[in-house]
This record gives sequence, C-alpha cells and structure tokens, in this order.
Amino acid sequence: MYRTAAKHLLGGGGAFTSTRLLRFPKLRSTIIPSSYTSGLCTSSMGGNTESPMGNQSVNPNQSDHTAASSSSSSTSTGEGPRRNESRKPRAEFQEEQARVLSASLRHVPRLGWTEEAMMAGSRDVGVSPSIVGSFSRKEAALVEFFMDESLQLLMDRIDSGLDLQNLIPSARIAKLIRIRLEMQIPYMSKWPQALSIQAHPLNVATSFKQRAMLVDEIWHAVGDGASDLDWYVKRTILGGVYSTTEIYMLTDDSLEHRDTWAFLDDRVKDAFDLKKSIQEAKYFAEDIGAGVGKSVQGLMNGVMQTMSRRSGGSAF
Amino acid sequence: MALRSVSRRIGSRILNHRSFVASLHSHATSFGFQEIKEEDKSKLVGNVFTNVASSYDIMNDVMSGGLHRLWKERLVGKLSPFPGMKHLDVAGGTGDVAFRIYDAIYSVKRRALQKVDEASLEETQIYVCDINSNMLNVGKQRAAERGLRDNKSLVWVEGDAEALSFDDNSMDGYTIAFGIRNVTHIEKALAEAYRVLKRGGRFLCLELSHVEIPVFKNLYDLYSFQVIPNLGELIAGDRESYQYLVESVRRFPPQERFAAMIADAGFEKVEYENLVGGVVAIHSAIKL
Repeated sequence: MYRTAAKHLLGGGGAFTSTRLLRFPKLRSTIIPSSYTSGLCTSSMGGNTESPMGNQSVNPNQSDHTAASSSSSSTSTGEGPRRNESRKPRAEFQEEQARVLSASLRHVPRLGWTEEAMMAGSRDVGVSPSIVGSFSRKEAALVEFFMDESLQLLMDRIDSGLDLQNLIPSARIAKLIRIRLEMQIPYMSKWPQALSIQAHPLNVATSFKQRAMLVDEIWHAVGDGASDLDWYVKRTILGGVYSTTEIYMLTDDSLEHRDTWAFLDDRVKDAFDLKKSIQEAKYFAEDIGAGVGKSVQGLMNGVMQTMSRRSGGSAF
Repeated sequence: MALRSVSRRIGSRILNHRSFVASLHSHATSFGFQEIKEEDKSKLVGNVFTNVASSYDIMNDVMSGGLHRLWKERLVGKLSPFPGMKHLDVAGGTGDVAFRIYDAIYSVKRRALQKVDEASLEETQIYVCDINSNMLNVGKQRAAERGLRDNKSLVWVEGDAEALSFDDNSMDGYTIAFGIRNVTHIEKALAEAYRVLKRGGRFLCLELSHVEIPVFKNLYDLYSFQVIPNLGELIAGDRESYQYLVESVRRFPPQERFAAMIADAGFEKVEYENLVGGVVAIHSAIKL
C-alpha cells in the first residue's frame, strides 16, 4: 500500500521516514524578485532529476551530493548558492547525515549502535564528529537508518527480478524474510542492542512504523490474496513470524544459521496451515472485537463444523 | 519549550531588511536604546564589562533566579561534547560554559560507561575567548579554585569575536552565551564563527531573546525595566550597566530574524529553541 502509492505518485522510492523527507523538494510559491527565479528553477530542477536516479543505487548519497554541488555552482552568482533555495541547504544536511550514518554502519560490529560508532563514521566521511550531536535521538537515528536501508535493499532485490513465480506463497514469504534477515547477519553480535534501542519509548513509534512497512512490503511482493484473512490479521501474523525468527536468530550459532531457516519454515507453515490459522485468526479477531466480516452466527457455524470434523476425522 | 526549524523562504523581505540594517550599521549602532557611533560601541561595552566583572556571576544568579545555570546546562547538553574536541567559547569570560563542557568531557561516569580513548582525551582543547581581560581574569581565578589552573585543556585567550585569532576550519564547536548582543557587528561575528568551524562543526548561541506571549510579555518588561536596574544598583553598585543590559536585549533581533542572519552566514540546519517562553533562546546550526 505504501509502496504502490509512493511509486506511482512520486516515480521512485518515495519518502519513507523523516530522514528521507526532502528527497523530492516541492517548489513553493514565494514572492521572489525575478532575478532569483531563474536560479531557483534550475537548482530545484537539478534536485528533482537527480533524486529518482539516486534512489536506485545502493549508495545514492554520493551521486546526489556531487550533482547537487555542481548544479549549485552553476547557478550561483555573487550572492552565493544558499541565498536562493530553502530546500537545498536542508537537503544537503539530510544527505550529509545519511553519508555519516552509512559510514558508521561499518563500525557497528565493533563499537555497537552508539555515538562512538557514529563519530568514527563521521571521521571516515571527513566531517567533524560534532555533527553527531545534531542528530535527533542519536543511536536511534543509526538504527532507523539501517532499517530503512535494508528495506530499500529488499525492494531493490525484489524489483531486480527475484524469481518468486515458481514458488508457493508460503515459500515466497520464507524466502523474502530470509533475504531480509540475512542483511542483519554482519551486525548479529550487536543486534540485541539495536532491538533495545527500538523498544525505547521515544523510538517505538518510528520502529513500529518501519516494521509495518517491511511487513506490508513483503505481502505486496508475495502478491497477497492467497487467503481471505483480514488485512490487519495478515500483517500481524507475518509480523509475528518475522519477529520470532529475528529473535531466534540472535541465539542461533548453527552453521550458516540453518536452524533459523528451519524455524522460519516451520512458522510460515503454521501460518499457512489454512484451517488452523483461519480458526486462530477468527478467535483472535473475536478477542479483539474486530469482526472478520462474518456474523457471529456464521462464526459459530464454522466452529461447529470444525468441531464435528475434528471429533470424527483423523489427527491434525 | 518549542523547537522550530527555520527555512529561508522570504527572499525579498530579508533583502529589504538587510539593506536597511546595512545602512544603519554604516553610520550608527545601538548601545541599549541610545544611538551611538560604531567606534564607540566596543569601548562602551568594554566599560560595562570591566565594571561588572567581579559581580557578574552573582548578578546572573540574582537576575535569573538561578535559572541561568539550567540554560547553560541545556546549551552544553545540546552540544554533546566529546573527548578530543576542539571547542571555542566566545565571550565566555568567566568560564561558565567552558567549565561545564570540561566536566561533560572528563566526567568519570562518562568514561566508565563508554569506551573513551584516553589519548583522545588528552587532545581536548577548550578555548575561552573574551575581549575583556577583567572577565578572563575572573575566569582564570575560578579555574584555579577548581584545581584547573595549569590544565592544558583550558586555554584563555583575549580576542575579539569579530576578528578571531584562530585558524580556518579548526574548531569542532563554537558557543557564545549571552555575548552576541554585545558585539557591534553581529554579521561579522557570525562570519568569523563560520570561518573557524570545521566541516560538520556546530554553532550554538544562547541569548536573551524576545517574548511574544501576551501577559507574560508585560510581566517580563516590568521585571526588566523596573527591577533589574535597581538590583544592579543594590548589588553591583552600577545602575547604568544593567540599564544597558536590559535595553540591549530589546534591541537584539528577534528569534526568526537572528536565525535568518545565521543562515545568511552560510550555516545549515538553523534551528532555535525557546526557553521560558522566549526569555532565552538557543540557536543552533551546522557548518557543512
């Protein structure tokens, strides 16, 4: 849902979280003397044409930055490049932040999801470590950046022709979750810290939103519609599968995480065991007071049927 | 406390304003509510601070009811100092902000909780720059009282905010607390700040600012003009200096205007946070 809307409206990756908000600067109508409007148009058009291209590559930031600086230098007059556009300066900071965070990820296995890692990253990029002081909710910024990047990578892999057609839905889900979890393998030693950062009250809202987007993305790629479960219930179930596998993976030291993938397959199978899961979903939905589109009577009929089948039928 | 981001959207309005201010600066400037020649301003300000130096800290406590400590804590918290940083505190004569930064970096708790590279700790340099040597002397004295007299990390420098003696791109942080309204040319001070900061370096300014909230504004004005000069007379024996002080606060540009000036100097991500409804504002920005 998020993805299709974003893709069709904005013709690219779309704006996910606050760190990416200014990828697509909109031209504001302002009262500006005519001598500035030409500069305004070219520099902001320059910004608009770079961004879609930038989103496709894994490391979009450097190409954006160099293109931005070249367009700004071409439009600058004696007044200086920052006079004209309000969007450009802030977009530059966002890019700079993204570059620093991206460079910091390399230090995470050693230093954890901490300010030290971000300061080391800033030194790598050639920027003073003071810039870390200006990131909101510092460590959370790093974790959220990683979540966004991973989601973007997942989407790129899906787009670049991942072969899902030959698989049944449950296998598709398992494959997608596996791809996503494998991105966390380099940081596995410090992932518990990331989870605790995400669980912090200040950060819960953003992390929840990111996970919701991830789950939504996976369902979208699977081409949901295999069952008639409710939208919320589907996302919740997949969210549960993903989270439990993620946590299982924290303590898994089997070769190539074989045990984790086996666990994942089991959970997905459970989720897809249609009879059992529909029933569980209905009970669950009833518990939380949300109907599944059928009346209570219909529900009771279904339950009656299943119970009679169970008592009469073979083991499940 | 409201945190607002400023975007520079009003091109022509600022243009006009700037040219007006430019013409004002070329001939005259303000000393409180008086109009004076530019050359005289720094002398007059110098006199003010020479007079108040010894009772500066006590007066701060009395005038703000001790709140100025919290404001400075907030400033240093926003800065997030780190070991190995090169920091410049301008107009920080008596060392309030500098000592807080020093403590934040060298605190034992921090060193225990985080892996601090002791070598980088040694590289920390906190420069305290002030135009007035009396204020610096008070600061050095306070340093001696804390046992930091010979500490290599704290460096006391006499200098002018409009013409700093530091190299380009040499500072990780720049703070100016309750000092920028005293400089004759604010734009020059901002330009100097931009010059000495490294790429990614942060600019933080704590300053008395404008209150807009209706009833509170009147109370604040009453307090400023009736109570403070009298306190100044009573405690420091100097009514004129504190009259200058409250007048200079009113003449200082309001939050948005000052943020625009900071952005003009080339800084990015200019933001400000009002404390106590606007009595004090912390402006922050980054050089990129």
